[in-house]
Amino acid sequence: MYGWNGRILRVNLTTGETSVEEVDPRIARDFIGGRGWAIRYLYNEMDPRVDPLSPENKLVFSTGPLTATPVPTGNRYMVTTKSPLTGAISCSNSGGFFPTEMKRTGFDLFIFEGRAERPVYLWVNDDRVELRPADHLWGRTVFETEDMLRAETDPRARVACIGPAGERLAPIAAILNDKHRAAARSGVGAVMGSKNLKAVVVRGTRRIPLARPDELKALADQVVEEVKQAVAAGKATLRTYGTAYVPPVTNEVGILPTYNFRTGVFAGAEAISGRTLNQKYLVRPKACYGCPIACGRVTRVEDPIFGGEGEGPEYETIGSLGSACGVDNLAAITKANYICNELGLDTISAGVTIACAMEMYELGLIPESDIGRPLRFGDAEAVVEMVRLAGLREGFGDLIAQGSYRLASHYGHPEFSMSAKKQEFPAYDPRGAKGMGLLYATSNIGASHMAGDTAYMEVFGVPKKVDPLSWEDKPRLVKYFEDIFTIIDAAGLCVFLSIRYLFEPTYNVEPVRISRLMEYATGAGYDEETLLKAGERVYNLERMFLVRAGFSRADDTLPPRMLHEPMPEGPAKGHVVELDRMLPEYYRLRGWDENGVPTPEKLAELGLL
Amino acid sequence: MKIRIKLLAHYQQYLPPDCSSSSYEADVPPDARVEDVLAGLPVPVEESVVLVNGRTPQPGQALQEGDVLCLFPAIGGG
Repeated sequence: MYGWNGRILRVNLTTGETSVEEVDPRIARDFIGGRGWAIRYLYNEMDPRVDPLSPENKLVFSTGPLTATPVPTGNRYMVTTKSPLTGAISCSNSGGFFPTEMKRTGFDLFIFEGRAERPVYLWVNDDRVELRPADHLWGRTVFETEDMLRAETDPRARVACIGPAGERLAPIAAILNDKHRAAARSGVGAVMGSKNLKAVVVRGTRRIPLARPDELKALADQVVEEVKQAVAAGKATLRTYGTAYVPPVTNEVGILPTYNFRTGVFAGAEAISGRTLNQKYLVRPKACYGCPIACGRVTRVEDPIFGGEGEGPEYETIGSLGSACGVDNLAAITKANYICNELGLDTISAGVTIACAMEMYELGLIPESDIGRPLRFGDAEAVVEMVRLAGLREGFGDLIAQGSYRLASHYGHPEFSMSAKKQEFPAYDPRGAKGMGLLYATSNIGASHMAGDTAYMEVFGVPKKVDPLSWEDKPRLVKYFEDIFTIIDAAGLCVFLSIRYLFEPTYNVEPVRISRLMEYATGAGYDEETLLKAGERVYNLERMFLVRAGFSRADDTLPPRMLHEPMPEGPAKGHVVELDRMLPEYYRLRGWDENGVPTPEKLAELGLL
Repeated sequence: MKIRIKLLAHYQQYLPPDCSSSSYEADVPPDARVEDVLAGLPVPVEESVVLVNGRTPQPGQALQEGDVLCLFPAIGGG
């Protein structure tokens, strides 16, 4: 095989046995890789109705065919499992250096089954596989764990691990790799913790064989050159500011989440922007493996209360732990981000859950004695304390660790949870970007921007700008973006490069270059049509997992605030999400029935029957 | 008439040197359209997102007193 290794590692944590399996080339091609292979294995092997924290759940780490190739940003992996936060599928993505190293071991995918009796970690050193005791690591932070593991395996090894949050089964727990990169959403860290799997450590030296290496290298080099020219022309916004450049942009459009999504305009937008980050806390930009963009931020805060160092914060973190909580203190947001990384928490869910608790506290719906202190919007110290408590599941943090839906329901008012399928909204108020509203409601993993980020066209103008306030054109846009993001995920690429350089810069966003790269890497017969079809196939199989898990149209919904409370101010003033008008057309375009279930005709067309 | 011109992300390098915020006041003719003002800016408009008061302007849209004309690079991501 080319591009793919064509081998997976199956790890039975109950028995301690590991085994190697070859991958059928037709399955490899039809499901692309990464996220696509993961759902193919999970759908065929597990019951979607199992308890996500039981040994019957399976946990998949998967790279794509372009991971660890010369393709720029071919450095990503996916964590796929049944989510303890949503009960649906989770597809959490991360970059850094771990995914490339994992691909180089010669395995494309690890599948973890059962539950270990005692804490263990997996050590994969090329084709030598070992499950080793991890009692000495249990309870340690992400940073400590990585340092200790590299010392006892190989200083060049890469680590993916959980912190105390995952060990304590927090439904918003993340899996961190390379200390500061996160497969964060949907509580994948808790699934790892439920299996007593503390970490996965990899060291790999395999060079990935390619079907048409000269052509792949030529196209890859051309793309890198285009990025370099943008940098040289002073147009490298992401390198200069990181994603932190976004708060003033979303604020200008009136969709920066503020006070638990009550409004989309925040007076402190500049104070939490990339420009402020650069002035005060940025040490230098940082790139993942093989990336010419370098959007990462190495930062340090010198402050008596909020001092620390690490990487980040990203825009989503700034929106969730900052403006959604009414906090305009960038030092505090950055410190909270460091704590989330150390303890292994999703910053989006942590922030939006704290915001939910703040609103409910201010309305008198949560007694202060439950929290142990006041919890008002704008209280920067409270945000930092709450993430620490959530990461350890101590005190009120135990409720925060369960996410906003369970927290709000605990106090009798689930409507204050800004979530879809119980997963917290990312940092775009959908009343001012209707495509995002449809996306949050329909996404297979619950509310997510990475499931098909129409904000690229609705807000950022990439490749072209569309009106965020229209709804008629959004069913087609959302369906298409969901499919192309599936392709990017499954291929093992980063969206930041792909959406800008590997798709046609027209309204139709055709997957021209990415199809060519897939074909040059694998030689499996990809063109644009087969690649799009494969993306749709993966998306539909994920949907079938949800159907069998008990999900239906009733779950493709949004909180009442988004449907019935008009945006109170700003450019989107007066708007709500016209979900009931978009959803039927979306289902029709998807080939699903009026209950959101893929029809037999659609499944047959995709070869899924 | 007076409008505000707001430049975000790396377009802030084009702000007037004495500007401490992300926007500055500009004097434009009373019948100025969006395109007229854009033509006079050092910013690469064809690579930009252009907003008036946070919303997508109509083609040929005339500006009004106090309008905020905002530009940022069409880069994406966050």
